[in-house]
Amino acid sequence: MKGPKLTLHNSLLRYLIILISACFLALPAAAPTLAAGAAQDEMQIDDQPGYIPNPTDEHLEGPLERQVVFFRTTEPPGTIVVHTNERFLYLVQENNRAMRYGIGVGRDGFQWAGQHKISRKQEWPDWRPPPEMIERQPYLPRFMAGGPGNPMGARALYIGSTIYRIHGTNQPQTIGHAVSSGCFRLVNDDIVDLFERVPVGTRIVVKQAPSL
Amino acid sequence: MIRLISAKKTAPSAALLGCLALLSACVGGRESTPVVASVPASIQADALVGTWGLAAYHRDSDRPRTEAEAKRQCNNPYVIKRGPNGGVIMHLADVPEPQELVLKGGPGGANFLGPAGPPGLPEDREVFSVSPNSFSVKWVSPENSTRYGMMIYVRC
Repeated sequence: MKGPKLTLHNSLLRYLIILISACFLALPAAAPTLAAGAAQDEMQIDDQPGYIPNPTDEHLEGPLERQVVFFRTTEPPGTIVVHTNERFLYLVQENNRAMRYGIGVGRDGFQWAGQHKISRKQEWPDWRPPPEMIERQPYLPRFMAGGPGNPMGARALYIGSTIYRIHGTNQPQTIGHAVSSGCFRLVNDDIVDLFERVPVGTRIVVKQAPSL
Repeated sequence: MIRLISAKKTAPSAALLGCLALLSACVGGRESTPVVASVPASIQADALVGTWGLAAYHRDSDRPRTEAEAKRQCNNPYVIKRGPNGGVIMHLADVPEPQELVLKGGPGGANFLGPAGPPGLPEDREVFSVSPNSFSVKWVSPENSTRYGMMIYVRC
């Protein structure tokens, strides 16, 4: 009598463990649900120097809105983790939490992965259109001093010694899309928020899930 | 060729000339319209011809460093050539193909650069602070002006 009872108990226990594990596995998978569609969503749009967006367009809603989320990671609090495919940037907090920001990422061929530190912070960064953009739009200034309407947005965080940055944007409609040349862009309110939270020296981990 | 007598007495004349230029543009079509300046500008086209570093700013406090940055952009310069009809070959805002533009005098001694026609067209830009080594322009169209701010050309 004892044997079968124990077996039944073990089966139930095993079932529960599997169920709980499945739930936990499903949690991090909840964010990529947005990404699965977004990963296909490459946006062909040139920078718009001097364009000042409507304030309502700069207010993101839904998953892309800045919010605290459950986030399991081995990275210590204060680390920036970028999940390129998800179109999210996480600032790791205590107790398996993170502040999550919706971002625009690099187009196909411009995405990358790696670990660096924030090497510099800049308010109202200047903008230098890349040479290929000058080729297409030869009338553009080769340098535009920072300010409202600047494609680099309100703040920039420089990533190590790379050419990449986390910066703001004057094109809020590009958040959630693959649009850049490898930089990560946030709406200006979000980049200001992140800028205030992270010091120079902050560790940043950029993750790029392999595409199937 | 149209010649004017005095810039101070030209307000009605300028309007008349503007209408004539507009009329000729309508009758002849833009492509066949000879490039004619409606009012002589105080700047010669040759002053703009050359190879320039190009930079822009919106806040006056950024002007000094923008000038320095313009000079640094000489590795990817903006080249202005002389046009066949006495104008200069440049771009209009957001138009990737260059075309011949003319210098036009405006009220109060202002100088405009744009397609043939009266000064101050929306496609025009006003030209300021011309020296042998630099000049500045600002678009007449408020939209373009907001977008591009003050653009500085520094000779390479």
